[in-house]
Amino acid sequence: MKARHYIGGAIILVFLGLLFYNFTRTNIEYESDFTKVMQSGKVCKATGVWVKEKSFQENIQDRTFIFYLRDAKNNEMKVVYKGTKPNNFEIATNVVVTGKYENGYFQATDVLTKCPSKYEGQNINTSGS
Amino acid sequence: MIGNILITIAFIGAVFSGLMYFLNYRGYQNTLNFARIAFHTMATSTILASVFLLYLILTHQFQYKYVYSYSDTSLPLGLLISTFYAGQEGSFLLWALWMAIIGVILQQYTAVRGDLEPRVMAVYSLVQSFLLLMITPMVKNPFALIYSEPFMATANTINSQLLKLPILADYIFSDKATGQLYVKIDQSLVSALQSAGISLREFIINGRGLNPLLQNFWMQIHPPVLFIGFASMSVPFAFAFAALIKNDYKEWIKQSFPWILFASMVLGLGIMLGGYWAYGVLGWGGYWAWDPVENSSLIPWIVSVAAIHTMLVQKKTANENSIGAFAKTNLVLVILSFVLVLYSTFLTRSGVLGDASVHSFVDPGYFAYLLLLIFMGTFIALGAGLLIYRWKYLQQITPPQNKLLSREFALFTGSVVLGASALVTFLGTSAPILGKSVQVEFYNKMNLPLGIIIGLINGLSLLIKWKETEGKELLRKSTFSLVSSIILTIIMFIAGVKDFNMILFAFASAFAFFVNAEIAYKIIRRNLEKAGAYIAHMGLALLFIGVIASSKYDKSIDVNLVKNEPADVFGYKMIFTGYSPTEDGKYAFKILIEKDGKQYEAAPIMYYSEFNQGIMRNPDIVPFVTKDIYISPLSYDDGTSSSSSEGTTLQIKKGEKVKYGESEIEFVSFNFPQDAMQKMMAGGDFEIGVKLIVRNYGSKYEIEPKYGIRNGERIDEPTRIKDANIQISVQSISANEGAVSLTVGPYSSETKTSEVKREVLAVTASIKPFVGLVWLGTVVIVLGFFIAMVRRTKESRV
Repeated sequence: MKARHYIGGAIILVFLGLLFYNFTRTNIEYESDFTKVMQSGKVCKATGVWVKEKSFQENIQDRTFIFYLRDAKNNEMKVVYKGTKPNNFEIATNVVVTGKYENGYFQATDVLTKCPSKYEGQNINTSGS
Repeated sequence: MIGNILITIAFIGAVFSGLMYFLNYRGYQNTLNFARIAFHTMATSTILASVFLLYLILTHQFQYKYVYSYSDTSLPLGLLISTFYAGQEGSFLLWALWMAIIGVILQQYTAVRGDLEPRVMAVYSLVQSFLLLMITPMVKNPFALIYSEPFMATANTINSQLLKLPILADYIFSDKATGQLYVKIDQSLVSALQSAGISLREFIINGRGLNPLLQNFWMQIHPPVLFIGFASMSVPFAFAFAALIKNDYKEWIKQSFPWILFASMVLGLGIMLGGYWAYGVLGWGGYWAWDPVENSSLIPWIVSVAAIHTMLVQKKTANENSIGAFAKTNLVLVILSFVLVLYSTFLTRSGVLGDASVHSFVDPGYFAYLLLLIFMGTFIALGAGLLIYRWKYLQQITPPQNKLLSREFALFTGSVVLGASALVTFLGTSAPILGKSVQVEFYNKMNLPLGIIIGLINGLSLLIKWKETEGKELLRKSTFSLVSSIILTIIMFIAGVKDFNMILFAFASAFAFFVNAEIAYKIIRRNLEKAGAYIAHMGLALLFIGVIASSKYDKSIDVNLVKNEPADVFGYKMIFTGYSPTEDGKYAFKILIEKDGKQYEAAPIMYYSEFNQGIMRNPDIVPFVTKDIYISPLSYDDGTSSSSSEGTTLQIKKGEKVKYGESEIEFVSFNFPQDAMQKMMAGGDFEIGVKLIVRNYGSKYEIEPKYGIRNGERIDEPTRIKDANIQISVQSISANEGAVSLTVGPYSSETKTSEVKREVLAVTASIKPFVGLVWLGTVVIVLGFFIAMVRRTKESRV
């Protein structure tokens, strides 16, 4: 009886240890401040808004999509994504890119677009009719 | 108005019946009838409210905000019906609707089984009260009128004749960025329209429509099934809680057993339907992405499956003197699976996953958020509170654990492993709350060893007898399965399964499959009813093997298919033959696939969506017995612009520099000849120069490729710089914004290779081996659950 408890306890400890180790190792933080993204050079999920006015590139041959993101403090960052322009990109209110900043740009492995399910009219400039 | 009244009646009915049932349990005999009447009033009102919402949707009553926001006049009937649950309000109503229907059945079920009804129904009514509270007029009201708060409707949904009315002038706004016109609908506009004799129904003639991502077959099935699963998960909870109230822990196991089997079956089916949706339509490339929203419904499912196993042990070990083993565990697991359903709702509805998931809802507003939190908190507090209160007593009456080599212990170990898997998934899914996120790798790494153990226990536990087994006997019984699974594993090893963990996983799954298949084969001939568990386990083993093969050993490649030119992809000859419009205004890109003289056709779909303002893509699958060929479209180039397929498109603004390979291209200015504008307007020949500076390893080249019409044809001649290995042509210019689009590619010889248009379809082609086993496994699991449910329903009769 006793021995079995010890074995069980040991297994649980090993499992929790593994869990904690893997959790911290695969953990990525959200970062909405691009200056921090650029400095750290660690893998993170950077959130920002697509800079529509700036140039973007879509290269079909080697399938890269290059665009600019801007954070709340108006810092801009070049993003290079290996893939095609995601669905919903044009109407996304927010873009979340996963990857790291290296050699002067953000290498994204994943681009997630956050879409408004309701526009509610908050972005509309009133200019009369 | 009608909708609001019905929901309010239903809410009051739920609260009242809960109260009356509770009083009845406390000994007030005469309240039972009130409780039943209130409960049925609640159910009737909920059903009527749902019928009413459906009526509003089907008759296109766009003056209701919900109808306006999710449907339009163009949707076919099936999808139009599915807009019922396209938004938060409607999906809560759908949940409440299933609760009402299941509740009516539950009431009859409990009424004929001892003193169950008042206790169980009191708890159940409490759950339903919370759900209905969420959709009462004060919170997330599906029957809110569009002008209840000022609302910006796009002008194309408004009767265009009425737009010209002078009274509208103050209500029309335009979005400068997109040029889109909006009409602000509020109380004052409605009164203005009213005094002009115009009803809101005449005024708003269309809705915003359903997101194209949701417009497909699976939208009509996946959410309703998932919500039946959610709703039925509250039934075993009600039984467990009722047991705690009465402090009697024997009967509830037997009585709730068919219900938890039903709940797990339907929830599991709902989850996998979502997986198929993601795989077959959304083009995620797989059926499971460890997306937080998927995970959040998987967690309660895993816990409920764990509960089923330990409940079985308690049921088996109970006798006159004992309540059976794992009585505490069962209470905890059943309560947990319900609370986790609520947690799932909270994660997906409250907006906390905002940045983390593709398909969670956006922020629902502070009040709804708070209410969801209270909803969840209440049941956690009630469940945990009562458990702690009864814990000491439970500790005394629960018999001690069994022998190591017994089926009881094996089942318990299985549940523990399932619990561990649930914990892993829970932790990863909840990470966004702390502002973190785990990579998919986390789930795979942690769940793989657990999967191996589950496979082994799945097989072993059935070879071990109840109470105790001799080691020798075990070995004798497992010979067939052991040998068969070793053979199968070797076959899989030769086929390419080389990763050590994967070999173990394959072996464990094969072992589970053969053990269960052998037993199921023997049993089915004698008594099909008892084969449920074995069939479900076989299904799980099949699913596991499908997962191993399809996720770890799939092959994928990006190819450019030139029209009518065959390309070799993984040994298949693929020819892109052109595209044709589909019935619903999309484009199907036809690809002929040939191998060994046999022909197949795939037609992935791409289209521009007005709703999403972008290109949408749907994959197509050619299924074989041993694999799927999975083709998802990336892009299509019609070859008219000499560009994209042969180079990169760069958009550069005046004064900006853009890198291309080792070169840096700077756009200096336009070179407008004085008469260029007039000639362009007149449609004649014209040329506009684009002054560029190209820098390459210290060298500087000033070039001026031309844009315009020469001899009636578009100028399409790249300017080439041999030393910099680059050639540049102008695709389009935007003089107003001072920007140009350039086509840049590596240097090629002066003479054009061909004048023929090259239509190119770029696709990702994948081979997914044995992915069909995942779906087959799911069907078999559901079948097994169903058979078990029938059997346990019979047993539950007193």
